[in-house]
Order: sequence, then C-alpha cells, then structure tokens
Amino acid sequence: MTAITDPQLAQPKTRSRVWRKLRASPSALFGAVLVGFFVLVAVLAPVLPIPAPLETDWMAVRKGPSLAHPMGTDEIGRDVLSRMVWGAQASLLAGVVSVLIALFIGVPLGVAAGYARGWTDAIISRGTEALLAAPFLILAIALAAFLGPSLSNAMIAIGLSAMPVFVRLARGQTMSVMTEDYVESARVIGLSHRAIVWRYILPNIFPPLLVQATLTVATAIIAEASLSFLGLGQQPPAPSWGSMLNVAKNFLEQAPWMALWPGIAIFLVVLGFNLLGDGLRDALDPREN
Amino acid sequence: MTEGAMTEAGPLLEISDLSIRFGGAPSNLVDGLSLRLSAGETLCIVGESGCGKSLTALALMGLLPMPPARRMSGRAVFEGRDLFELSLDQLKDIRGDRMAMIFQEPMTSLNPAIKVGEQIAESVRRHRGVSRAEARAHALEMLCRVRIPAPEKRLDEYPHQMSGGMRQRAMIAMALANDPALLIADEPTTALDVTVQAQVLDLMRALQQESGAALIMITHDLGVVAEMADTVAVMYAGRIVETGPVARIFEDPQHPYTIGLMSSMPDLGPRGGRLVTIPGVVPPADAMPEGCRFASRCPFAAPACAEAPPLRDLAEGHSVACWLAPLEAVEPGAAEEVA
Repeated sequence: MTAITDPQLAQPKTRSRVWRKLRASPSALFGAVLVGFFVLVAVLAPVLPIPAPLETDWMAVRKGPSLAHPMGTDEIGRDVLSRMVWGAQASLLAGVVSVLIALFIGVPLGVAAGYARGWTDAIISRGTEALLAAPFLILAIALAAFLGPSLSNAMIAIGLSAMPVFVRLARGQTMSVMTEDYVESARVIGLSHRAIVWRYILPNIFPPLLVQATLTVATAIIAEASLSFLGLGQQPPAPSWGSMLNVAKNFLEQAPWMALWPGIAIFLVVLGFNLLGDGLRDALDPREN
Repeated sequence: MTEGAMTEAGPLLEISDLSIRFGGAPSNLVDGLSLRLSAGETLCIVGESGCGKSLTALALMGLLPMPPARRMSGRAVFEGRDLFELSLDQLKDIRGDRMAMIFQEPMTSLNPAIKVGEQIAESVRRHRGVSRAEARAHALEMLCRVRIPAPEKRLDEYPHQMSGGMRQRAMIAMALANDPALLIADEPTTALDVTVQAQVLDLMRALQQESGAALIMITHDLGVVAEMADTVAVMYAGRIVETGPVARIFEDPQHPYTIGLMSSMPDLGPRGGRLVTIPGVVPPADAMPEGCRFASRCPFAAPACAEAPPLRDLAEGHSVACWLAPLEAVEPGAAEEVA
C-alpha cells in the first residue's frame, strides 16, 4: 500500500503492528477468545435466562445434567450453571482487581526506586525481596487469614502478594529506560521529574507491565479459587468456583459434575489469560521489530 | 533579566580552569580547561574519543552524574551566572530555554511514546507557560523552520515513523524552540548518512544565522570543523592543546597533535600513498603522564615536555600548549616528517 510508494512510511504504526502480530498468532487468538467468552458470560450474568444462583430446587438435589439444569444441581438443589456464571464474575473480578491493586502499589514503588536510586531504592528493594522470599500463595493465605475471610479481603491479599513482582519489573524497566537518550534530552529541555516520569518513563515501561499483568491475572484467579476453596475468599452462599470445588469434593462419587464444571472453567480461563499474555509478550517484543 | 547587558559587555560563556575527575582516578579527565564564547560565535571542539569533549558539554548542561564524576575546579559563567553554582531548579529553568543541546543519536533521542509535535511543544510549554494550542502552533512553526516536509503531518507522527535525518531535524527544532542563546551539539551528524550530514549542517548554520545563537559543536570530523567553525579548540587527553580562528588552525597548525590530526585527514582525488596516522595511543586515565600528555606520541618530544606546557598566545586569538611553538623555531625537516 502506501508503504511501498513512500519509503518514509515504510514502518507502520507500533500499535497496528502489535495488533497484527497478535492476530497472526493462533494461540494468542485462542486465548483472547477464551478470555472474551468468560468476560462476556460474567458481564451478562444478570440477563442470562438462568435461575438465580441461590435459588434452591428441593425436587432436584444433586441431580445430573438435564434440560432444566444443563450442568446439574448441587447438594441443596441450586443450579450449577447459574452458580458457574455468577462464579465467573467473582473469579474474573478477583483476578483483575487484585492485579490492579498490585499495579497501583507496585509500579509507583518500582518507578520511585529505579528513578531515585540510592536510599529510596535500597529500602524499597529490600522490602520487595523480603516479600518475594515468601511463596506467593502462602503469603496470600496468610494475608487473607489476617484480614479476615471475604472476597474483597482476598483481592487485597492476592494483590499485595503479587505486588513485589511489579515493583521489581517496574524498577528494572525504569532503570533501563533512564539510560535512554530521550530521557537525557527530556532533562536537557528542563522538564521536571514529574513530567519525565509521566511522559517519558511510564509510557515506555508500559508494554512489559501489560504482559506481566495479563499473566498475573491467571495466577490471581487460581489464588482466588484457592482461597475460596479454603474458605478465605468468597463466603457461602455466594457462588465462587473455589468454594464450589470445596463443597464438591465431599460428593465426588455421587455428583462428579459438581467438581467437573468449576475445574474445567478455572483451567480454561487460566489457559486463556496465559495464552493471551504469551501472545502479547511476543507481539510487544522489541527484538523482533 | 540582565542577559542583554551581559552578552554585550563580555563573552556569552566563559569557562575557566574546569577540571573533572571520575571517582578515585589519579588524574583529571578534563584538566584545566578554559574557553570563551561570544554571542553568535561557532566554536568547534575537536579531539578523538575520550578526550573529554562530551564530558565538558555534559558538565555545562549539569548532566554529568556526580558522583561518580567530580568537578575538581573551575567556573562556567553563562550570561553572567556561574552554571556550577546554580541550584538544580535554576539550572532546569535555563536548560532548554537559554541553552539547549543536541545529541549524537537521533534514533534514540526522541521519546518513542510521544508524538514529535508534542515533544517540541513540551519544551515550549515548560519555559513559556503558553497554552497547549499556542505551543502546538509554535511546534509547527519550528518544524517549518527546520525544513521538514509536510510539517502538519509530521506534527502528529511518532519518532519511529521518521528517518534519521528527519529525527535530527526534529531534535534541532526542539532545541531551538525557545530561542536559546547557546546551543551545544554533541556530534550531531556522526550517526547520519553523508548526504544527510551536509543537509543538517547547512540547516544548523542557516538557523544559527537566523537566531543569532552561539554554537558549541563537538566533533571529531575535521570536515565539519572546516565547514562550521569560527573558532576551533583542539583537545587532547582532557586538555586544550591548541585554539584559534578556524583559518589559522587549518593553515598554520602549531601543536604537533593538531598537525597530526590535519595530516591524518584523507584528501579527495587519487590515492597518494598511505594515510598518515599518529603513532601510539592516548595514555589511559590511570597512567596520565605528569607533563605534556602528548609527549609519548610526539615526534618533537624534548626534555622540557616533562613539565606541562601552558596555553600560550602566539598571535591574536591563537594559543598553543607546546614548548616548541611557534614551530618555525624547530628545524624544518622535523615538521615535514610529521606533516
């Protein structure tokens, strides 16, 4: 197209190039479709033609899939499909919100450490390393237990546990961007630290953070399911895939579908986010530009 | 402010006895450097890599990381104020406004995440406090002034959509946006193709005439020097070894190092034998000789060179740091050997 006639325009825009590379990758596309499907289901939960997730049908307790209940019913006759749909909302919300918490706390700390260096860096980095020393899930469980069991506390716990990774990443990326000539030229035109951080550092460290965030959503969804499974997340009777699994483990022989659907859903949504994250990483990889 | 009075009365920039050292190094990387620059003048600092040219420029802009760098001595009076005595905030007010800098690498000197027009406008808004629309209009005007084709379109493009030459033009637009009195250009054409180099040099000269800014051009390319300079300062291992009007330096170089530089420049036309080189290498910073730093490579080295030669005036504005200058005093055969 124009690229051929005008050599100045030979390089297409970064954004469209990233899009193209993302779309050209079947696995990334598959991941995006999976994620899109679950997001759609979660968003449409209130309008879908399904029974309410807490509505019990005493005539159908622990019944296998049927026309009335396509995914069967649970131990007190609630519709599993409905609970799956509403559970998707809890899982995705937990995944996204906890990653946002991690980003909003972690990135400023990391950028501050990488930008200011010296003592600021020493304090932030040592703190981060201390947090990283504890395994992610153990830390999340400890924090959730400390904060008290609820979905929002689980999100905070997961977010705080995931934060150190973002501190590290933002710090390293900031340090690398700081050595770029354009940061030097920003200083040469007399810009303030604030302007340099907002306009020169943050936009340029965004791609790796986006990749990390996408991958971390998957981890956070598993973490939320784990916490709910342990009773530290979503509280009954509100639906959550993790707590559904917890109940289902008691009826594995009598009603295997109760465990099957949440298990499959967790697997698929995590797979989706991982494939999407990997695809983004490849698409944003500057080495291939 | 007092700018007007100052520039007319004295030099625009006067660096005196600037010495810079890194960490615990035993010798100075820039050693006792003094320079004067009048308004509108073009000074070329010439020397090989590592001779301290860029270090000097970065020190002037306050961009030298300290530590590890340390300023051992010196003043740099710019428009009546010592740049080294200013607070960071005062310096930031001057940077990009009264003095600006262009870097060597246009491919990496622009923020890839911001449109070119916005980057130019940013500098204008920072120093003139004008509205977004006014800054944008000014950015457009700057793009016109640096002769970028289709400036309205370029304004909204990202750096990666531009060629190297165009990016360097954009850098120049950014640097000149606030009509600085002093522009420092650190090897501005080294990374460009030869034809683009010539265009950019022409452009810089034209803009300098329009704006009346003084220019410090750092280069190792004597062709650039011949084309651009009013005054030349030749640096070797952190010291100025010779300085003077460009014509004199080219016609009558006095320092053995300058002579070596001149004769190691290839001529156009048929090949007339091997290219002359200066034997040896620059002494490393941790083994700098006490006296003349060029002595170990100098064909004229004499016992007197064990003591550092001061920069002495030979003629109006032409000074040399060599005990043997003026060279006519030495037997002419020796000079031919080098030249």
